[in-house]
Amino acid sequence: MKIAVPADGPSLEARVQVKLGTTPYLLVVDSDDLSFEVLDGPPPSLGSGAGVQALSIVLGKGANVILVGYISPNISNPLQKNGIEVVTSVFGSVREAVMKYKCGGFDLAENSGRKSGSKLSAQQSSRWAEALRKTAKQYSTLIPVLTGVILLTGLFKAFMPKELLLTMFSGSIIQDTFAGAFIGSLLSGNPINSYVIGETFLEMGVDFFGVTAMMLTWVTVWLVQMPVEISVFGTRFTLVRNVVAFLVAIPASILIVWLSGGAS
Amino acid sequence: MTKSIIDGKPPQKRSRLRPWIFPACVAGIYLILLVITPDRAWVGLQAAWRVLIQAALPLLLAFGMMFLLNMFITPVHVSNFLGNGVGVRSVFFSAAAGIISMGPIFAWYPFLKSLRKKGASDFHLANFLSHRAVKPALLPMMILYFGWRFSLIFTIFCILSALVTATVVSLLGRQR
Repeated sequence: MKIAVPADGPSLEARVQVKLGTTPYLLVVDSDDLSFEVLDGPPPSLGSGAGVQALSIVLGKGANVILVGYISPNISNPLQKNGIEVVTSVFGSVREAVMKYKCGGFDLAENSGRKSGSKLSAQQSSRWAEALRKTAKQYSTLIPVLTGVILLTGLFKAFMPKELLLTMFSGSIIQDTFAGAFIGSLLSGNPINSYVIGETFLEMGVDFFGVTAMMLTWVTVWLVQMPVEISVFGTRFTLVRNVVAFLVAIPASILIVWLSGGAS
Repeated sequence: MTKSIIDGKPPQKRSRLRPWIFPACVAGIYLILLVITPDRAWVGLQAAWRVLIQAALPLLLAFGMMFLLNMFITPVHVSNFLGNGVGVRSVFFSAAAGIISMGPIFAWYPFLKSLRKKGASDFHLANFLSHRAVKPALLPMMILYFGWRFSLIFTIFCILSALVTATVVSLLGRQR
């Protein structure tokens, strides 16, 4: 049986770490002979994605037990449903932790699905708190940009002459769709912003083809992020994906507007 | 010792105030305009206020939807979906993973990079990326802005476009 343990060093005498996402090393220990493999922990630059990366690493190495100080119930519950045993509140050295696990020294009922009512309720409320914290964090990154966008739409409405905007959107379906798709490709961020800008464009007389194309390419074409995408997937993949997404957005936008009859 | 699967960069400290630079700049423009042309600037502020009021309810709904998704969907579900299945099942799973994955795309890049190194196909990676265009948490907001019929058709076409894009990428996107 392979047991994954986050540790502060590359040996069995290293201390068990509290979290998978912040550990410098991940040890995958064979419980039969205590042979082990040392893996580097996820880089801190990953931020909130580090925990998932660490899990991906140890599960890829075939670990079916994880001994750790703490892991969010949001993560441990689906793991356990998939047959991965997760034991939390583990401390001491890696060797001690593995031996204790082998000897059945952990209260596995506490860590598995067989929980008492109060523990279940405590874990449930912790899950709620975790989900609320995560949502608030996602919102906290959205709010500054959205505030800026809303203020900008006010400026746009007050100072941008409609005629100037409408020179980009001539009324020709093809040209307007291309113009909208181009604007959407240049912009990025939460799609909520594209709804606010789209609504403003519609109020200023831009037709629905251009607005739909902008909203579609906003979420499918990422010109600004292209350098990062290239570093991850390569130049060819990135260029093909973005060009195809742009080209597909043109007929798709026209069909969307035709089939829906525009906004209700 | 096994090397780390992804190439990490040194951690960069991000100021908490950094995201506010953009709105602060726009607010600065308002301040200047309030001095130069107060009437027009006031019209702009009123327009921005109306947009904010209009967006309040949809934003609240989006918060609720995001909370529910965060409550019941975790990154573990996403990684399970992306790594599972063959044939049509795998198409469905990578699409589902893209749809339920939340947060900025760059947060998912390291994970996708490691999947690619483990042999995930271009089709499934492109399918995941393209299906991120489908945002169930924002659907109520879109419906309030543009109506349910448009939102439904828009969502269906996002899925169809994603499948077309993933297919073409798998045919043309591989580095030779």
